[in-house]
Amino acid sequence: MIASDDRGLHDEVWLLLPWLANGRLGAADRERAEDHVRHCAACKQELAQQELMCSAFAEPDRVIYAPGPSFRKLMERIDAAPADRMDPTAEDEAGQPAARAGDRVTELTTELSKAPVTRVAGARLDRMSLWRPPGLAWAASFLLLFAVTGLLTTLYHWSAPVYSTHTDSAPTTPGVLHIALDRRLTIGDVEEMMRADGARIVEGPGDTGIVGVTPTRPVNGPGTSAGMKQELRALSARLRADPRVLWVQPLADSDTPAEPRVPVSPDR
Amino acid sequence: MTSVRGPHHSEPTCSAAEPGWRGGASPAREAELIALIAKGDRRAFEELYHLYHRRLARFLTRLTRRYDVAEEVINDTFWIVWRKAADFRGDSQPSTWILGIAYRRARNAFRASARAGSIENLDAHPPPPTSDEPMRREELRDWLVQALSQLPVEQRLAVELCYELGYSCEEISEIMGCPVNTVKTRLFHARAKLQKLLPVLGGSAPSDERGRK
Repeated sequence: MIASDDRGLHDEVWLLLPWLANGRLGAADRERAEDHVRHCAACKQELAQQELMCSAFAEPDRVIYAPGPSFRKLMERIDAAPADRMDPTAEDEAGQPAARAGDRVTELTTELSKAPVTRVAGARLDRMSLWRPPGLAWAASFLLLFAVTGLLTTLYHWSAPVYSTHTDSAPTTPGVLHIALDRRLTIGDVEEMMRADGARIVEGPGDTGIVGVTPTRPVNGPGTSAGMKQELRALSARLRADPRVLWVQPLADSDTPAEPRVPVSPDR
Repeated sequence: MTSVRGPHHSEPTCSAAEPGWRGGASPAREAELIALIAKGDRRAFEELYHLYHRRLARFLTRLTRRYDVAEEVINDTFWIVWRKAADFRGDSQPSTWILGIAYRRARNAFRASARAGSIENLDAHPPPPTSDEPMRREELRDWLVQALSQLPVEQRLAVELCYELGYSCEEISEIMGCPVNTVKTRLFHARAKLQKLLPVLGGSAPSDERGRK
């Protein structure tokens, strides 16, 4: 109801001017508002501007969109959906406004239910129940977890560096000691060194330049592993002392690390 | 004329006279179409769709500035009309019911698009029309559309529903799901902002000052 005092009446009429302009004010209020506007210059000017706005908005459209194609799209969507008419989303939208209920959860649910993924999948997804048996969900989760774990493990192995070093590629033939010699040595130098150190070459050299040597002194048969180890240890010590040997395979029970050495000129 | 009295509104401020330019059928005919739609009548559905498409397209395209978004909102609206026609009880006018659905769909679409940045917020304004010469209504309409983009979405919708679609205060409150006084307040602030953005509407004095004579 419009208030009776002038100030209150002016404020009330001011608020109602848009509907006085668009012709949608109730008869009683319209009569009182029009009476006030006749004596109020500000309201009269404002009403004129409101009427100008109404007429501006009522200007004919420059572009008129044909409804046919849109309607066909809608009917395709309807035909693709199941026939029953119970749709929780529609319930929310067609019922009383969400804003009145002030329920943000409802609003979010509505927005989520209309997310682009749902749209792309088509209207059928709108109709699908969100409830699923918990067991199936757990089973699916475990399967997914196993698949992801397997994939990650495979990827880890594939990502491991594919290279080898002289040390980790050294063969472990029993009774054979593997060494790396300075490649600048001549065959004669090697023969002389083998004689001096009491060794003979039994393997190699391969692509890596590693040769396998054994002590020239006979080992006391295959059954005396202690003697063989002792001979190998002694040979290893002699070779390590020789500056022309760059690397000596560490023995299994030796604490001596296999340190590479700086090559020494043979003429030194 | 029937009075629009929603269950939540008590203020007898507005009538329900339908302006002729709104372009709809009579409320009785629209209610009849909805009853037929509830029975699965596709011809009635098509007729109702055509009755509303133009005004909704105009309203929503102006709001979102994109017809594809507007079309999506229209079809979402009528998707719900098709599915829920049997639940229409006639407590409100058919146009209020349909516009209420469209409003909620448009609001959600607008917010989602605004978050995604797909709806432009126009930064560049055309030069405001001068008040020295009579302004063409077409020019004013163009400028109003630009100025509307500067308003919050709720105020923009209230403006569109009042000036563009010619709804009464009570109908807008029912469509927007808010009290009548909220509608008046939204429009009051929208008017004040529009008049600042568009000096020819405000005259020489700011709107809120003139409103508090």
